[in-house]
Amino acid sequence: MTLDWSVVWEYRERLLEGAALTVGLAVTTMVLALPLSLGVAVLRSNRFAVVRALTTAYVEFFRATPLILQIYWAFYVMPVVIGLALDPLPTALLGLVLNVTAYLSETVRGGLNSVRPLQRYAGLALGMTGLQVFRVVVLPQAFRRVLPAIASTWVSLFKDTSLVSVIAVADLAYVAQQLRAQTFRVFEFLTAMAALYWLMGYPQAKLVDYLYRRTRVVE
Amino acid sequence: MIPAALASNWRFLAAALGITVELALASVGVGLIVGLLVGLGRSYGGRVLGAVLALYVDSMRAVPVLAILVWLFFAAPMLLGTPIRPFLAAASGLGLHLGAYVAEAVRAGLLSVRQGQTRAALALGMTRVQAVRVVVLPQALIRVMPALGSLLTFAVKDTAIAAVIAVPELMRQSQIVAGQTYQPFPIYTAALLVYFVLCFPVARVTDLVYARLAPRGAG
Repeated sequence: MTLDWSVVWEYRERLLEGAALTVGLAVTTMVLALPLSLGVAVLRSNRFAVVRALTTAYVEFFRATPLILQIYWAFYVMPVVIGLALDPLPTALLGLVLNVTAYLSETVRGGLNSVRPLQRYAGLALGMTGLQVFRVVVLPQAFRRVLPAIASTWVSLFKDTSLVSVIAVADLAYVAQQLRAQTFRVFEFLTAMAALYWLMGYPQAKLVDYLYRRTRVVE
Repeated sequence: MIPAALASNWRFLAAALGITVELALASVGVGLIVGLLVGLGRSYGGRVLGAVLALYVDSMRAVPVLAILVWLFFAAPMLLGTPIRPFLAAASGLGLHLGAYVAEAVRAGLLSVRQGQTRAALALGMTRVQAVRVVVLPQALIRVMPALGSLLTFAVKDTAIAAVIAVPELMRQSQIVAGQTYQPFPIYTAALLVYFVLCFPVARVTDLVYARLAPRGAG
């Protein structure tokens, strides 16, 4: 096997464009999913049983089915059923946001529940409105507690963006596999792809560890 | 009323479901063995081994499953000089990926068992190995069962990614049938439901088992 790494350098711009789309997709998904997951978490303790049942069904369903199939469904079935045919990129974003929102809402819900009721009572006793108590007292405490878990979800999301390559969104995985087919330099491009993911993902995994260490309770 | 596309292809899809289950079992088997050994190695194996294993674990946490599978199937054979069957590439790739997460769970479990337990075991005249095997490890494993349970659902869902290297599992065969019949709606929807039926109980069953074993891990 003779390897020719110069070909990777030659196509560096396309690989980096793919990597940029990967990062952009992950960031956009997270920005949309965070507020949505807060909404879902709050709705899951709504006083109407129907609302609770619907949000629970949504969360459980998206957590118990493969993301790759959800993306496929959004791309091939949604146009037939709902008549909504989106381009690959918005379809991918929709799939990722719905998936990540389901996971994050569980994390957020855990965080909100972890804030003791006394904190709320104290806020109300000080004359705050219910909304103020939520925003000023409960949310900041909950956020601090679930930050490591959110970071963990972020790293998973970053890895999961690679699945959008199956509907031809030109992310790093897609570009690398296209270049593989185009140049026949299979080993070089697939190794470059794995290396680029590693270079981007490794520091993120370490950051998650750091966040967990910082919040760890020592016995 | 069953859609025709589904009625005439159900045998084909049922066989694919069998492959999905086999792949899930194989990757869970590899993942548990690798995870247990790596978790123990990182906890008791000394500095050099610990650093090597940490690099392995963090790399697996940083690189997408899709990149691992594609690399193992297309690039690794060029290094080895012999082709690798899709199922083997998928089972080992998924297993090695899962193993890193299992190792993290095992290590967290081992750390959570208090020092006094080890000291008591040593004071009773047990060797170090005995202390870990008989006293520390069982408690650790019971404590991390909820984490392992959610990893099991991930293991089942991640088998769908093996479709990108043409393992004839449920996702891949659904693509084939959907393409042949031009009926993506019933096929992909049925696949979603099957995955849900497969994954949802896994989480519930581990919860039940854990509820029964939890008191025994509370040392």
